[in-house]
Amino acid sequence: MSELLDRATPALDRLGRLMEARATLAARFEETRASLARRHGAPALEPWAAGTLALVDVNAGAGVLLAFWRASLELAPRLDPDDLAAMAHGAAALCREAGSAATVAALDAFAGLEPRLTGAEGRAMWWRALARLGQVTPDCVELVAAQAHRLVVPGHAMEFEGFIEAGLRATGRDRARRRAFFALEDPLALTLLARIGAGPGFDEMEAELRMVLAALWDTRPELQPLPPAGPDMPRRVNIAGPVLRLPAVFPGMEGEGARRLYLAATLHAGAHLHFGNPRFPVRKFRPVQIALATLVEDARIEALAMRRFPGLRRLWGAYHVATPEDGPTVAALLRRVARGLFDPAYADPDALVGKAQTLFRAARDRIEDPAMSLDIGTRLANDVGQRRIRFDALGHVAEPAYRDDGLGIWDFSEIDPEVSDDVQMMVEAARPTPQEADDAAPQDGPPGEAPEPVGRARPARGPDEGVIVAAYPEWDAGAGIERADWTSVREMPAAAGEVRPLLRALERAAALRGRVARLVKAAKVGRAARLKRQAEGHDLDIDAVIEAAIATRAGEMPDLRVFRSSARLQRDLAVLVLVDVSHSTRERLADGASVLDVERLAVAMLAEALEKLGDDFALLAFASSGRGDVRVTPVKSFAEPYDAAALARLAGLQAGLSTRLGAALRHAGAQIARVRAFRKLVLVLTDGEPSDIDVAAGDLVQDARRVVLQLRAQGIDTFGVTLDPAGVGSAPAIFGKTNAMPVRRVEDLPERLSELYFRLARR
Amino acid sequence: MPSAPDLSAYRIAVEPYYRPVGDEIAVFEAAWRHRLPVMLKGPTGCGKTRFVEYMAWRLGRPLITVAAHEDMTAADLAGRFLLTPEGTVWHDGPLTQAVRHGAICYLDEIVEARQDTTVVIHPLTDARRMLPLEKRNELIPAHADFQLVISYNPGYQSAVKDLKESTKQRFVAIDFDYPAPALEAEIVMREAGADLALARTLVAIAACSRNLRGQGLDEGASTRMLIHTGRLAAGGVSLEAAVHAGIVLPITDDADVRQALGSAISACLV
Ligand SMILES: Nc1ncnc2c1ncn2[C@@H]1O[C@H](COP(=O)(O)OP(=O)(O)OP(=O)(O)O)[C@@H](O)[C@H]1O
Ligand SMILES: [Mg+2]
Repeated sequence: MSELLDRATPALDRLGRLMEARATLAARFEETRASLARRHGAPALEPWAAGTLALVDVNAGAGVLLAFWRASLELAPRLDPDDLAAMAHGAAALCREAGSAATVAALDAFAGLEPRLTGAEGRAMWWRALARLGQVTPDCVELVAAQAHRLVVPGHAMEFEGFIEAGLRATGRDRARRRAFFALEDPLALTLLARIGAGPGFDEMEAELRMVLAALWDTRPELQPLPPAGPDMPRRVNIAGPVLRLPAVFPGMEGEGARRLYLAATLHAGAHLHFGNPRFPVRKFRPVQIALATLVEDARIEALAMRRFPGLRRLWGAYHVATPEDGPTVAALLRRVARGLFDPAYADPDALVGKAQTLFRAARDRIEDPAMSLDIGTRLANDVGQRRIRFDALGHVAEPAYRDDGLGIWDFSEIDPEVSDDVQMMVEAARPTPQEADDAAPQDGPPGEAPEPVGRARPARGPDEGVIVAAYPEWDAGAGIERADWTSVREMPAAAGEVRPLLRALERAAALRGRVARLVKAAKVGRAARLKRQAEGHDLDIDAVIEAAIATRAGEMPDLRVFRSSARLQRDLAVLVLVDVSHSTRERLADGASVLDVERLAVAMLAEALEKLGDDFALLAFASSGRGDVRVTPVKSFAEPYDAAALARLAGLQAGLSTRLGAALRHAGAQIARVRAFRKLVLVLTDGEPSDIDVAAGDLVQDARRVVLQLRAQGIDTFGVTLDPAGVGSAPAIFGKTNAMPVRRVEDLPERLSELYFRLARR
Repeated sequence: MPSAPDLSAYRIAVEPYYRPVGDEIAVFEAAWRHRLPVMLKGPTGCGKTRFVEYMAWRLGRPLITVAAHEDMTAADLAGRFLLTPEGTVWHDGPLTQAVRHGAICYLDEIVEARQDTTVVIHPLTDARRMLPLEKRNELIPAHADFQLVISYNPGYQSAVKDLKESTKQRFVAIDFDYPAPALEAEIVMREAGADLALARTLVAIAACSRNLRGQGLDEGASTRMLIHTGRLAAGGVSLEAAVHAGIVLPITDDADVRQALGSAISACLV
């Protein structure tokens, strides 16, 4: 056996002999070894040498070895040989997944970033995250290494791994999107990047902002997140008609600071909406005029707002900190003008600020009129123009940070050619990039040519997925016989979907949810039964006592049951909600939501109520593609809690295929039959007629009717909530007149479903 | 026969402070002239009870108030036999007292009572104006000055708890809501001993909370709450603390809603 491969030989010796043979490497190896030995002593280098050998073992190549030695020398003052060895092992693992070039890039980046990784844990995380990335998508490792200085944020290094993980999850198998993501060219990547070391972001703040807007301005605009424009580019709120778009995150802002900035920005935008959004026609205005008129308009609406809500001065005032020391640029001067307009007591040496304050004060009587902003703004702009200092239209950003981008108050439809280039530039610089529109597309929209996302439940595709769990008979109406084992039911694993749209829909339905919550409360407390004339109890039944006393005096036998008590009527109810996710539920409504979205919302609301009531329930989705392929997706089974995971599964339901209702009902019946409860309900949520590819629709109606009757004989009541705009559907034929609830308007579905449940549960 | 009528305890001697908000006094007086039963609709703490007290004083009638609750039975309203050393004695319930001796009977939050209790008032509130006492086998015709007033908060209304249609349709209704800001500030000043600035701030806070009705809150802050808070603040508690104790804490248990309400309140405070 060669001595080189003999594990008993010290690694350093083996390595030394190995390197002697490699002309290109020998000198650099010797140099590195010597330098490390001087620092740590030769015996301590054993692990380091073993690390190098590990790189050799994976055929890392000369480039990697050189990079490792470079990094070793650079980090030697901070790391001991054990740590350097760990770096080699990490690099070796990466090299196995992603190859030499990626490993060189990773080692070089590591050498530069190591201080940010704070300790062994951080260093291990770096290699682990990259190896994971390399495993899935080796071509992206170099991209990440090149951006590492952005991704490893001082103090928040550990979030690097989360970023990688999120990127892999979000981009699935779409190679182009993956590369864009890890090159930080994708809006989602920029958003997630901005989130590192920042937050709360839009998602966490949305509910509160919505409430605060309603409370102060009695307005309920649509709120949307705005992904960052690019690394290190500031984002401002954008007002687009009744829609407020807020930065998905304010980079670098954390905790209470981020929260206050969101509040300040949202209430400023709310004040714009409340005190009138003028839409000044741009026509001949130059960028500097636009910028100044916008500043004055901001001050105008804030002055009005603070009259009504004096505390806003505290909130906004905190951001007006510009001083003459900030420098001589127009941008700095504008910040001081903003401050002067906001705070009449602010005194500034520059005459422009004083003039702005004077003009603004003089216009006090017309403060309700937006036209004053245009007047004053243009006069101030003339002064700026005469000074011959340059206004940087392209780099202009509204300041302070809580102010909106100002585009909302201008009408750009008519622009005089004379100024058009400049203005265009200014608008482009501020405008939310168009690609963001795609990103906001509904999650279950047709993905175009993009390949299927991974990790999503897709009951609609791939017959090899899922497990066959049952076979059921089916009624053949034509032949008048029941065919045994005619349909097979396949249980499809449910996978988590994006819950945010669903949560948002729930939030938007706050009023209805409130009503349902009250029903829940009432159903809970209202179920206490008062029992009179009891043998024992917590209270005397005064009427019974008197009767007993009268009987005693009259010499009769008194009835001694003279107490009152109350007992909670035991709710003993199990309900299974069966949701149709067939192809037709993809249909979109006027507001862009699909029928499935509305179904999801309805089910989520009902589930919320059921959970609070403590009723036992299960949620099951179904679709079919022929008798051999009836698919059910369990969203929540009876035993499971209704938790975040269940909600994610609900959100992850996808629409597709047909509606073999009878088979699904049999399966639902079999499941609920196993549950112990006094009363059992199956609620079917469907958007139309039973149908499938291999059978006439009429036959399926008759089959479903038969199942409903069979279930009733087993003590299971079935109800159909069906979307039926024309009121001509077969629901009454299937569920019976009293058990069918046709819903004319899809939007009413959530309300109807909950209503139906409470009606049923009371009986 | 029952003992001599003595409703002096139910008479209101001093004029209660009531600030009219609309034509409610005229409507009530017209209803009173015809002894029509009246239903006062409106959210909690907006002045319904105070209004009835004022009208009873103005019309010079005794006022018997009954707060309805879930466990209230017909006997609690109409009366029952009680035992004394001498034997059993019938005792008129509050409603019967009012019917016999001509008082205004005010049934507060009538929805809380069970429907089988509520129907006791049916014969009193139509052309018959009678109260049948089954237990005593007696039919009491209402005194000429008897009038029935109920209150009803439509906010609580739900499929589970609502008045029967046949009950609702027996009443003349007067709609109450929180008074307009200037009026409400006047009321808060007067009732809480607050100055104008404080009263205005409280009213602004109330307006914010009322905007959250159905969006986090079941009900906004009532005039009653503002008065309580105003008393705390006028009594030396800092305004922030008073608002927290008097409004934020009682009105919601939800941390997010508290947070949002807190931000809105802070915008209202100088
Ligand atoms: N118009 C008014 N004039 C004078 N005081 C008023 C008026 N409106 C409200 N108040 C004040 O508000 C307080 C609460 O009103 P009140 O007790 O009458 O409410 P309510 O409508 O009966 O509420 P609930 O339905 O909870 O019983 C009163 O004690 C009174 O101080
Ligand atoms: Mg009251």
